[in-house]
Amino acid sequence: MTVLLAVLAGLPLTLLVTVCAFAIGLVGGVPIMLGLRSRIFPVRIATRFLVDLIRGVPTIVWLFLLYFGFSFGNFRFNSLGAAVLGLGIISAAYLAEMYRGAFLVLAKGQSEAAQALGFGRRTTFVRILAPQAIRTALPSLTSYLLALVKDSSIASTIGVTEIVFAATTFARQNPESAGLTPFFFAAGVYLAVSIPLAVVARRLDTRLRRSF
Amino acid sequence: MGVPLVTQSNELPTAGVELSHISKSFGSHLVLDDISMKVAPGSVTALIGPSGSGKSTLLRCVNLLEIPEAGTVTVGSKTVIAGRKVSEKDLLALRREVGMVFQSFNLFPHFSVLRNVAFPQERILGRSREEAEARALVLLERVGLKDKAHQHPGKCSGGQQQRIAIVRALALDPRAMLFDEPTSALDPEVGVEVLAVMRELASTGMTMIVVTHEMQFARDVGDHLVVMADGKIIEEGAPNAVMSDPREERTRRFLSAVLER
Repeated sequence: MTVLLAVLAGLPLTLLVTVCAFAIGLVGGVPIMLGLRSRIFPVRIATRFLVDLIRGVPTIVWLFLLYFGFSFGNFRFNSLGAAVLGLGIISAAYLAEMYRGAFLVLAKGQSEAAQALGFGRRTTFVRILAPQAIRTALPSLTSYLLALVKDSSIASTIGVTEIVFAATTFARQNPESAGLTPFFFAAGVYLAVSIPLAVVARRLDTRLRRSF
Repeated sequence: MGVPLVTQSNELPTAGVELSHISKSFGSHLVLDDISMKVAPGSVTALIGPSGSGKSTLLRCVNLLEIPEAGTVTVGSKTVIAGRKVSEKDLLALRREVGMVFQSFNLFPHFSVLRNVAFPQERILGRSREEAEARALVLLERVGLKDKAHQHPGKCSGGQQQRIAIVRALALDPRAMLFDEPTSALDPEVGVEVLAVMRELASTGMTMIVVTHEMQFARDVGDHLVVMADGKIIEEGAPNAVMSDPREERTRRFLSAVLER
């Protein structure tokens, strides 16, 4: 039982990193998506380059760069800050692509109908296109969230005391008795978080889909 | 004498539409070649012609869904001159005058039928929610769809969706209505319900421009028939006259294809 408790001690930080990074991604993805859809060519190209840059470098490298390599005057990120920001920025880039894809599959007739009725660009976007795009994007958003729960374990490499960090620590402290046990427990805790999340996501999706 | 000098409004409830010297190309392909067309207030103009002739594009130029490269578009007292930058304000002012119905209905799937009809009134005309929904229900009842008000469009048949789309446009009190092949996506039997609504609308004196393959409708309801081919108007006149005795060989071929099938 001490093993389970030791591993569970990492759960709050796993959840904190995941939730904060996903929140940054959800919000930060919006301006990036707008940049990807911009009518101004240089803006579109610059955003496209940024997104490809963010997605092209492994997560662990971003976290190392932010944690060890970034300083501004006396300011440096602590491990939690670097993990949340790094994973958040990466999430924003991926979610922006999902938002963009969802807008692409919207029937062209939707924006035409909105235009023909006399809606301005803002109303068309906020009230007509965005709600439909969010529903389209929902399944990919939730699978990204599920992946992020597990990817948050990369934060252990820069010393965030989340589940994997806790499991590793326990294994090191009890070299002769622990064996792989802490990691099996860690796997169990991840499953206990992911499976209910997946169920809720599927329910939400079917509910929204039914109203169409 | 008995006639007041200043009337309540010197705008007619319906507006005329005038297109002059409209040109439009997609890439290097000239879709509309210097087209001029005049639609009298309260009249019904049917636009026919083979596919690819530019009739839908011409219709979409009236409410500036397509911005022509040259020419002027006038609806009622609002004129937009193409070729220079068209401001968002002018664009919206002109679109406010015109309602449009699409081949694919284009109802908003995330709104209920009632919200589809009420929301634009709130946004465009500034009506209150109660007022807008009351008006929506009156109009829905008139096309026999009041009981669908609280369903989503996805639950309605094509014919029902198209009637809702007509109601959505009419709820904004347009002074002219554009129809882009309104029955082409419908089974013939269902199309009849939609045509019935359009006939009724025409009889109330609405200015209508209808792109259609429904020759019977064009003949019965149309005041004027315009035949297009290859981006030009090749013939126009009274529907009966054009259909029974076309002047152009191209019109003859097209009519025999659609009438004698």
